[in-house]
Amino acid sequence: MPEAAPAAPPSRLRLPRFALALPAGLWLVVFFVVPIATIVWFSFGYKPGLFGTHANDVLSLERYRETFSSTFFATFRNTLWVGVAGTALCLLVGMPAAYWMAVKAPARRRGLLIALVMVPYWTNFLVRTIGWQVILAPQGWLSGLLQSLHLTSGPLDILYTRTAVLIGVVYNYLPLMILPLFVAFDRVGEPLREASKDLGATRWRTFTRVTLPLARPGIVAGTVLVFIPLMGDYVTATVLGGARGNMVGQLVASQFQTAQNWALGSAMAVVLILVIAVTVGVFAALAWLVGRPLRARHRLVLEEVP
Amino acid sequence: MTTPDETAAPQAGGADAVVLTRVSKFYGDVAAVDDLTLTVRRGEFLSLLGPSGCGKTTTLRMVAGFEHPDTGDVLVDGQSVLGVPPHRRNVNTVFQAYALFPHMSVAENVAYGLEQKRTPKADIRTKVAEALDMVQMRGYAGRRPAQLSGGQQQRVALARALVNRPSVLLLDEPLGALDRQLREEMQVELKLLQTRLGISFVFVTHDQGEALSMSDRIAIMREGRVEQLGDADTIYSSPASAYVAGFVGQQNFLDGRAGDDGAVDTDLGPLRSTRPSDVRPGQRVRVAVRPEFVDLVAEQPPGTSENTVRGTVIGVAHQGETRQFLVDAGHGHTLLVRRPTPASPRLAVGDTGWCRWRADDVHVFPHDGAHSAPPPTSVPDQRAG
Repeated sequence: MPEAAPAAPPSRLRLPRFALALPAGLWLVVFFVVPIATIVWFSFGYKPGLFGTHANDVLSLERYRETFSSTFFATFRNTLWVGVAGTALCLLVGMPAAYWMAVKAPARRRGLLIALVMVPYWTNFLVRTIGWQVILAPQGWLSGLLQSLHLTSGPLDILYTRTAVLIGVVYNYLPLMILPLFVAFDRVGEPLREASKDLGATRWRTFTRVTLPLARPGIVAGTVLVFIPLMGDYVTATVLGGARGNMVGQLVASQFQTAQNWALGSAMAVVLILVIAVTVGVFAALAWLVGRPLRARHRLVLEEVP
Repeated sequence: MTTPDETAAPQAGGADAVVLTRVSKFYGDVAAVDDLTLTVRRGEFLSLLGPSGCGKTTTLRMVAGFEHPDTGDVLVDGQSVLGVPPHRRNVNTVFQAYALFPHMSVAENVAYGLEQKRTPKADIRTKVAEALDMVQMRGYAGRRPAQLSGGQQQRVALARALVNRPSVLLLDEPLGALDRQLREEMQVELKLLQTRLGISFVFVTHDQGEALSMSDRIAIMREGRVEQLGDADTIYSSPASAYVAGFVGQQNFLDGRAGDDGAVDTDLGPLRSTRPSDVRPGQRVRVAVRPEFVDLVAEQPPGTSENTVRGTVIGVAHQGETRQFLVDAGHGHTLLVRRPTPASPRLAVGDTGWCRWRADDVHVFPHDGAHSAPPPTSVPDQRAG
């Protein structure tokens, strides 16, 4: 029939826009939100007798009181020290390296350099850390070398201390700092640095006024990416820390695995999460406060033209 | 456009703004700039015109301090700047992609150079306001570069450079990213600004229209050298070589052999030039005649057959005030003819016509061995070149 209206296009299944984020969202709910909620719930419970692991029929804040015992508090201070010092060291070591890779190194070598940064990740985390145990051992080759060069009087006394943990975490987390910093420095680009110098800025001023402010998202990403897993690190502290280099991660693990006190372990885990969140918040506020007079100095607002 | 501060740059007495003396720059074995000598006079608008890869940007970057010459000397205000880093040169650049700082407002971008000179904040405020007034961007002082259009960013980049009152302003193809209408407006404004401020501008471009419309002098560059330096009239009417003749405006090129008294024997018959030329009889030469100097008539003109070529019209394009004809002259040659519309012949495609031109409009150059551009096969857009 020639008069027939054109057929309506076949109706297609229209997915809402957030459909793209659905798989990741589901994954996070099942494997992140639910476990965290469980931990929080468990932290209000108790350990029922010698052979039980957990009960929640009586709720209390008792476990949190236990958490703030002196041993745990000392371990917390220790963890925070390693976390902050380790992140600061990663930033200090990683920043010049990333800057060199992004700005100074020949452009055609950059792919190779990034691959080299990733080389340690070709080996298992635990194996790498045990490698450091071998190096830092009092009878190890490094100790022998330092003694034969008369740089130290006795065998190396680093293994099973906080210093050993610090060395270990800086080594383990440095790539996580370098990569976002590299991307950030790379994105600033040569033309902006040239424009800055063209306008009379020295190299240092160019770095502080142009490169660094524009690389800020990368610096934040790298710092957070290193600090958060570092605070919860358990392998490095276990292998290199021993009794003197204890970290909260170990304590939590021992409550779950050795002491079988899930409620206390959960409370410790919750406190750790809160401490990490508060520390990140405090440092963000500090960075903002420190930057305020600097920003004010360079701010220029012209009065409105009538 | 108004500026309260009309006092301009000339600081260093009578010295030329920039002098490049026998400067060379090599990348590996390739000379990007090859024994180049060039003077930028105080207060002049000089264009470096040439195709990409001719060394014009490298030359500019050596004046700015981002490249260092392998040989030769660069003087700014009469002082050698060899070894002087970019931030200590009294030279500013407008970059190709503007390179505005995205994390600063328009006003802060313009203030950046003054801040580096430790200018008091009150002065910075006045000068930034003046500079933004100068480029009509005062109302956008608080915006970020990302909130501006390309043309507006261009103006801010200009203000940011000019607020420092440099001895010379370097512009690296700054209009390349703008659309045509905006580009033409900016050409006019740039020239006005330069005239009023009296600051020397060195303008790098591959666009002959830009160079011709703004420049006091044009340096045509080729393979790292200056092929010809002169004002627009000289470059247009007395090109020094076939290369220059072909680069500025359009040309009909014919290869031939020189005879006596300006006579040239070509595939299309005898030609004659009354212009001075340094070719010797018997030498291989290239002859150039501009399309606008070629007349096209339907009847065979009486008199001598010199500078007259018979052909078939194979294309006609109406371009408003002019009309362009493409004429097949045989032997693989086509000639482009541009006539004012009222005076153009009533010829259509397929008609036979005679092209002729005055001996005074025939340029004869020694043949430099380079291939000439292939003859046009369709009528080109007059404005495209």
